[in-house]
Amino acid sequence: MLRGTGAYLACFVLHFLLIITISCRDIVWLVAHKLTILPPPFSAAAEKVEPIVAGTLGDKLSASNPLRRALLTYLHIAGIDRGYGYFAPNVPSGYKLVFELHYPDGRVQYELPGVNSAAAGLRIASLLDEIGRTRYDPLREYMVKTLAASVWREHPGVKTVRAVFGSLNLPSPAEFERGKRESYDFLYAYDFSRAEEPAKAETH
Amino acid sequence: MARWTERLRAFLFPPEADLWLGLLRIGLGLQVLFYALSLRADWNYLFAGPGDGLIGRALPEALLSTESPLIPRLGWLVMLTTRTGFSESTALSIVWWGLLFAGACLLIGFFSRASAILAWFVHLCAAESGGFISYGVDNFMTIGLFYLMLSPLPDRYSLDQLWRKLSPKDPQLIGFFRRVLQVHLCLIYFFGGLAKCLGTGWWDGSNLWRALIQPPFNLIAPEILIRLKYLFPVGGIAICLLEISYPVFIWNQRTRGIWLICICAMHVAIGLTMGMYLFAFVMIVLNVAAFGLGLGLARGEKLVRAPAS
Repeated sequence: MLRGTGAYLACFVLHFLLIITISCRDIVWLVAHKLTILPPPFSAAAEKVEPIVAGTLGDKLSASNPLRRALLTYLHIAGIDRGYGYFAPNVPSGYKLVFELHYPDGRVQYELPGVNSAAAGLRIASLLDEIGRTRYDPLREYMVKTLAASVWREHPGVKTVRAVFGSLNLPSPAEFERGKRESYDFLYAYDFSRAEEPAKAETH
Repeated sequence: MARWTERLRAFLFPPEADLWLGLLRIGLGLQVLFYALSLRADWNYLFAGPGDGLIGRALPEALLSTESPLIPRLGWLVMLTTRTGFSESTALSIVWWGLLFAGACLLIGFFSRASAILAWFVHLCAAESGGFISYGVDNFMTIGLFYLMLSPLPDRYSLDQLWRKLSPKDPQLIGFFRRVLQVHLCLIYFFGGLAKCLGTGWWDGSNLWRALIQPPFNLIAPEILIRLKYLFPVGGIAICLLEISYPVFIWNQRTRGIWLICICAMHVAIGLTMGMYLFAFVMIVLNVAAFGLGLGLARGEKLVRAPAS
């Protein structure tokens, strides 16, 4: 018999308890936020359970707590820091970011954040999702500003840049057959100028 | 209680040959190579430091530090390299070459353990520093490489084994790590399927339609897809059921083959119709390594008892 099976067994149990807890936390979060087909009583129950599940993962410990840090480090290095609800419970709307480049001669050019390969293109979609999901305005503005700066480096003659961020509306199959096509809802716009002034933000 | 513990031990430590481990190593070696090559043109642009590149790694790394300063990140590797006099851009290129080298070594089984650790670490650094631009493939690569580096490498199909003639690893330890991968896959599909079952869009097929027409996954024109609209509800329900029932049917000898083929077919379809080739490949590698080979020994195969470890 293999030596040290007890230690392997303990690691196995701990590792998979963490995976199950994280996956349950994600499911409970979806139910608590009424994003599922479950009726309201389930959401109410999930709201009560949510802090308990989060607590078991050290969410209530202070950010500098060594136990919390050790746990988060392990979750990241093992790749188990998130659940597996990809494209679930429903496929979320995508986002689009368009830069209006204003030249000193009045010319306006439109640019999208771009990369060289299709593989990196998928990562741009993740980035836009991240910007769209962010509820913290300064963080969103910082991210858009950083992207605007990358466009600016490629177009050094530009005077001002207006970044327009919108969410994607996808037609259902029935709507598509009636002629409706994808459209975008305006969410935010930011104006950036060379003088490093704070961006002027507009929201819907 | 003692009987249960014995049964659990018997389940978790079955004597296994290391063919599955060889498959995992070769598959993840290829995956690391594809990953590195697919990002070659954008590597420095995606992971550049402050004031350079697309979004840069400064913000994701600062956010990581608030979680834990011990989570690996590209900033560490870049700092180490720039201290020896290289520019940041060169440092990032060296990291990329390091990842490519680790992938190639894994593929042939050259210094398998060290290569697995290097591939895991460099990929993890990139995935964490590019937190805003990471998606499912990074998560599954981290999981696969994490298990691979802990598994009893080298396997008998590696160059290491041919070259260094090492003593065989304990078959029960090999079996244990296969069980870990198998159980993890069961949880991945179960919770993925459960989350999908809780959404309306998978039952009426609208989620399948939305996933396929949404940029940048819209490789097939919606004008073509709309002709298949009656298949979307069937496809959506099939995906839900296939995933949520995976932990049940993948263990049964009679149904394992069909479930494995269906799951792999689903990933091939995701790769071809949505352009998520890397994601599809890593999922197929993990599935085939975990369940693709007979769970017992192949005919004529004998396990050599290793010295107790």
